[in-house]
Amino acid sequence: MIDYLLVIPVLLPLAAGGIMLLSPAKNRKLFLWSAETVVVINSILVWALLLTGTGRENGVVLLHLSPELKVILRPDGTGSVFAGLVAFLWPLAMLYAFEYMEHDIRQRSFFAFYVMTYGVTLGIALSGSLLSLYLFYEMLTLVTFPLVLHYRDADSRKAARKYLYYSIGGAAFGFLGLVFVLSVGGSSDFVQGGVPALREAVESRDLLLLIYVLAFAGFGVKAALFPVQKWLPSASVAPTPVTALLHAVAVVKAGAFAIIRLTYFSFGPDMLRGTWAQYTVGGLALFTIAYGSTMACKEIHFKKRLAYSTIANLSYVLMGCCMMSEAGLFAALSHLVIHAIMKICAFFCAGAVMHKADRHHVYELNGLGRRMPVTFACFTIAGLSLTGMPLFAGFISKWNLAMAALTEGTVFGIIAVCVLLYSALMTGIYMMTVVVRAYFPGRGFDYNTLKEIRDPTWRMLLPIGLFAALLILLGVWSGPLMNFLTAVAKGVL
Amino acid sequence: MSGNLLLLAAVLWPMAAAFISYFIGRFRKTARNRFTVGATVSEFLILLILMLTGDSSFSLPKICGMSLELQMDGFRALYGCIAGFMWMMTTLFSGEYFGHYRNRNRYYLFLLMTLGATVGVFLSADLFTTFIFFEIMSFTSYVWVLHDEKPAALRAAETYLAVAVIGGMVMLMGLFLLYNAAGTLRMEELLSATRTAWETDRKTLYLAGALMVFGFGAKAGMFPLHIWLPKAHPVAPAPASALLSGILTKSGIFGILAVTCNIFLHDPTWGMAILLLGTVTMFGGALLAVFSIDFKRTLACSSMSQIGFILVGVGMQCLLGELNSLAVRGTVLHMVNHSLIKLDLFMVAGVIYMNLHQLDLNRIRGFGRKKPLLMACFLMGALGIGGIPLWNGYISKTLLHESIVEYAELFENLAEAEEMGIRLMGSYGLMKGIEWVFLISGGMTVAYMLKLFICVFLESNSDEEVQKKYDNKKEYWNIFSRIAICGSAAVLPVMGMLPGLTMNKMADMAQSFMHLEHAHEVHYFTWTNLKGGLISIGIGVALYFGVIRTLLMKKTAANKDGKVLREYVDRWPAWLDLENGVYRPLIQVWIPRILGAVCGFLDKYIIHIPLKVFMSVTGSVAAVLDKYIIELPMKVFNSVTAAAVRGMDQMADGIILLARKTTHRQILTMEKEDIRDEAAVKTGRFLDKVTRKTTHVASLVELEERVSRTDSIIRSGLSFGLLMAVLGLIVILLYILFV
Repeated sequence: MIDYLLVIPVLLPLAAGGIMLLSPAKNRKLFLWSAETVVVINSILVWALLLTGTGRENGVVLLHLSPELKVILRPDGTGSVFAGLVAFLWPLAMLYAFEYMEHDIRQRSFFAFYVMTYGVTLGIALSGSLLSLYLFYEMLTLVTFPLVLHYRDADSRKAARKYLYYSIGGAAFGFLGLVFVLSVGGSSDFVQGGVPALREAVESRDLLLLIYVLAFAGFGVKAALFPVQKWLPSASVAPTPVTALLHAVAVVKAGAFAIIRLTYFSFGPDMLRGTWAQYTVGGLALFTIAYGSTMACKEIHFKKRLAYSTIANLSYVLMGCCMMSEAGLFAALSHLVIHAIMKICAFFCAGAVMHKADRHHVYELNGLGRRMPVTFACFTIAGLSLTGMPLFAGFISKWNLAMAALTEGTVFGIIAVCVLLYSALMTGIYMMTVVVRAYFPGRGFDYNTLKEIRDPTWRMLLPIGLFAALLILLGVWSGPLMNFLTAVAKGVL
Repeated sequence: MSGNLLLLAAVLWPMAAAFISYFIGRFRKTARNRFTVGATVSEFLILLILMLTGDSSFSLPKICGMSLELQMDGFRALYGCIAGFMWMMTTLFSGEYFGHYRNRNRYYLFLLMTLGATVGVFLSADLFTTFIFFEIMSFTSYVWVLHDEKPAALRAAETYLAVAVIGGMVMLMGLFLLYNAAGTLRMEELLSATRTAWETDRKTLYLAGALMVFGFGAKAGMFPLHIWLPKAHPVAPAPASALLSGILTKSGIFGILAVTCNIFLHDPTWGMAILLLGTVTMFGGALLAVFSIDFKRTLACSSMSQIGFILVGVGMQCLLGELNSLAVRGTVLHMVNHSLIKLDLFMVAGVIYMNLHQLDLNRIRGFGRKKPLLMACFLMGALGIGGIPLWNGYISKTLLHESIVEYAELFENLAEAEEMGIRLMGSYGLMKGIEWVFLISGGMTVAYMLKLFICVFLESNSDEEVQKKYDNKKEYWNIFSRIAICGSAAVLPVMGMLPGLTMNKMADMAQSFMHLEHAHEVHYFTWTNLKGGLISIGIGVALYFGVIRTLLMKKTAANKDGKVLREYVDRWPAWLDLENGVYRPLIQVWIPRILGAVCGFLDKYIIHIPLKVFMSVTGSVAAVLDKYIIELPMKVFNSVTAAAVRGMDQMADGIILLARKTTHRQILTMEKEDIRDEAAVKTGRFLDKVTRKTTHVASLVELEERVSRTDSIIRSGLSFGLLMAVLGLIVILLYILFV
């Protein structure tokens, strides 16, 4: 019976969001803090459920679409990783959003949908079958659509439309995968190593592989896989809390997460390893890495640059996933977690700069390092971490990725490592140019022009600082997390 | 966590001190300066204690994904102490040098952090640890280079960072490959691990080694990655240049040695590659130095050249196999010598710069006249690096030279080579050629040091006023600077004059790192050994008078006394610059342009064209469907139903028409000739009277006519019949209901 508690984290934010949309409350402060309370309670609940292992065995059936088709929540190891990550980040991102959105006129709808997205994302994370994942995945598109549209100007309308088309179109391909998993495999419940019946379907192997590739590309839309990545840079017109949390973590990671589920829990890595399907999707991921990093260097809009970087980094996760091995899954999960922290940190710093200094382009950042010391110190940490400097968390996940690639022992693995290093170099360039500009504007720079600019208040600095500290902590001492992720990848948890 | 915690302290204490000094510096400048000196002195003492207490090790597992392994023995101890010593001296000197600088807090912060990282590199016991500290060192020392924030400094720093980042990445790639092939990165275990992998996977090992040497070599200033060196050293503050040149380059050499001696021990192929790179570096650096007319740039190029000498030693170690005792000891000693000499020389350059704020030889000419102590300090360094007998550089250069000679002789004595199990590479001619390049490079060293010395300390400035000002400058350094510089200078002749007590001991200590157990006794001052040194000196003096004083100087207008003046000119062609000619265009223009174009192209067309094609195809299909499949039946259906509806519509009317024509045909009867309009006429007349108008009669008559006509139509029409029928029905209904 206690398993039914699992339903609460998914439904509570949805209900709360609905109430927020309808509530007549005039008091902004009360409104926001009650929203934050809901989110915090929800996060605590999620962590409590994950730590106690509630529902890990049997799960909870939300509803039956037909006797065979059931929407089920069952947090296994991989799901716990994503759910725990989301639950950790959401309250902090809300806190940050309070200050960022303080002068906005549509706060009610913003926070309502922001809270609802939380529930849907948790739904994706906790889903116990491809079917339920798919349902929440479609819902995610719908609840995040108003957030992209938030400013209602021409750019955001265009971006929102693009987002919608891409996502719905991608989900259609995902649906194709779901149908095949159900019809050939008989069940879409997640099993580590793949649905058994699917693995045994030898005669229709090539068709299945084709479907896998299509479904990969379909879910890859949200993970911004080339050639369906275009929506992500456009969507950076949304408010920073959205770009940071949704377009660096929740939404895009939901895509990567869906792909991990599809690969390791539905089709099964054994079936895919060494086939043309692996090299196709792997090649796409590698190309996306190179593409994203290169475009990030070319981009001069601060947030768009980070968006391109996200494109590259998501494909790191996909690349790990494409190794079709335990080590690959481990590397993918570790980059999923660590990239979330570093990119949200970088985005929040960019948002702080936009909010306090109203600078949107990289060339406008000269000398800000001295004016906003905390923000830029954290940005530097995030940048070094993204580059993969030792002592920072990004190094760990990149090391894992490279090791996973090399233990393959194939040419593909070696190319993957080369791409990884190329991308690291590009990352160094596009992150460090920002840092260098901010700290070393050159001799004779007039700091008086920046007199008015200050670090933001604690509501912004707390999340930023916490993430930066976490990056260093994980960089130096990542043992427990890595042990946990190894166990998850092995399927022990 | 196990082992000697003092080792960890040696790495972490400077890093902690960095932040403490930053904090102090926000309030008290002098206290900060004293604190940093204290920190570096204590660091030196820690290292010294560690060296004297013997070998120890420390390991901290699960750090940065792997484990942190530190070790203090032989070579590591030696270089740890040298690092500590150099930092101590430069920090002592920094106090005065930075007197009028801005951002001193930042400088000290990164100075101390780099100290920790550098010590970490030298104490590291596995390549992973080396890499981690190496990267930290690269990034923290970057801030030194751009400290001035002048355009030249920013540009040099950019190059420095780019080389560091690229080098780091490439090195990491090498580490990946090595770890994958050998399964370990611990230096102790590498040798045996790679021996087993050697037969099966030699190509991977060579590739891994080459990648790692790329990374380490970039920091060491090895050709063709030396580009940052001649630019970064001159723009950095002098104490920082001393460290960059003296010790940071050595951390690169440390890495190269770690790779060479643990993976490619006694491998001639590897040795030959390093030897050739070293030879080019050695000669190229010296050539650049001869041409340079900037005091610090000359020293920087000289550093590059000396790194070349060291690399030649590293290469010879591999080539000579079991017989490499001379090469090993020469390499180690030349490293030590170069560190100490450059410490001295760069600090002298610092003294010049902090007084004059320039380093152009024509401007600073004559500054050193009447300053005997400064001259002596410079001379010690110059003689040392020139390889003059009785100074320290002579010892190491002799050892390196002799190792080349020894190898060349093996070609004439093949039996011995075979007996020792040495696989000879190259040829006698090649080795002789390298020997001569070595001697000429040595000669060039003498020549450019002579150039600096004569220019600054002997010649007088072309402008007599300036010279007078220079001569009168007595307070040109304070007591701390004097202690630092004289202290560093005094070490050099002591080492050179008592090699048995000093340098041999150092070499004994360090050689186990290169897997050398026994060394044979060398008498440094025998005629054969002196001969090489003397040839170099001869070449150097000839070059100075034959080339530098003729080709590299030009006459300027005579001054008022009619004396012809000559000044130094930079005859190095500006286009001959690897960085500006090749690397920068490649990285800044060509690679981004090509990749960007490819990405942009794909961006635009991969999605765009298929989408367009898809849209037009589906669009036209939909249009066809629209037109023929949907629209046509629609039309047919519409017209049919419309006709039907219209038919139905008119049915009722048709029936009515039919009924009127047949059953309900109106019967035409004669109109009765009665007076119908009586009432109308009467009322009309009455109204006419009342209103005095004449229209009422006609209109009322017409009204009545119309009413009566309508009435007749109604009565005779079907509708009326129906109405009546309905009324009748209602009445019947009411009757049934109520009666």
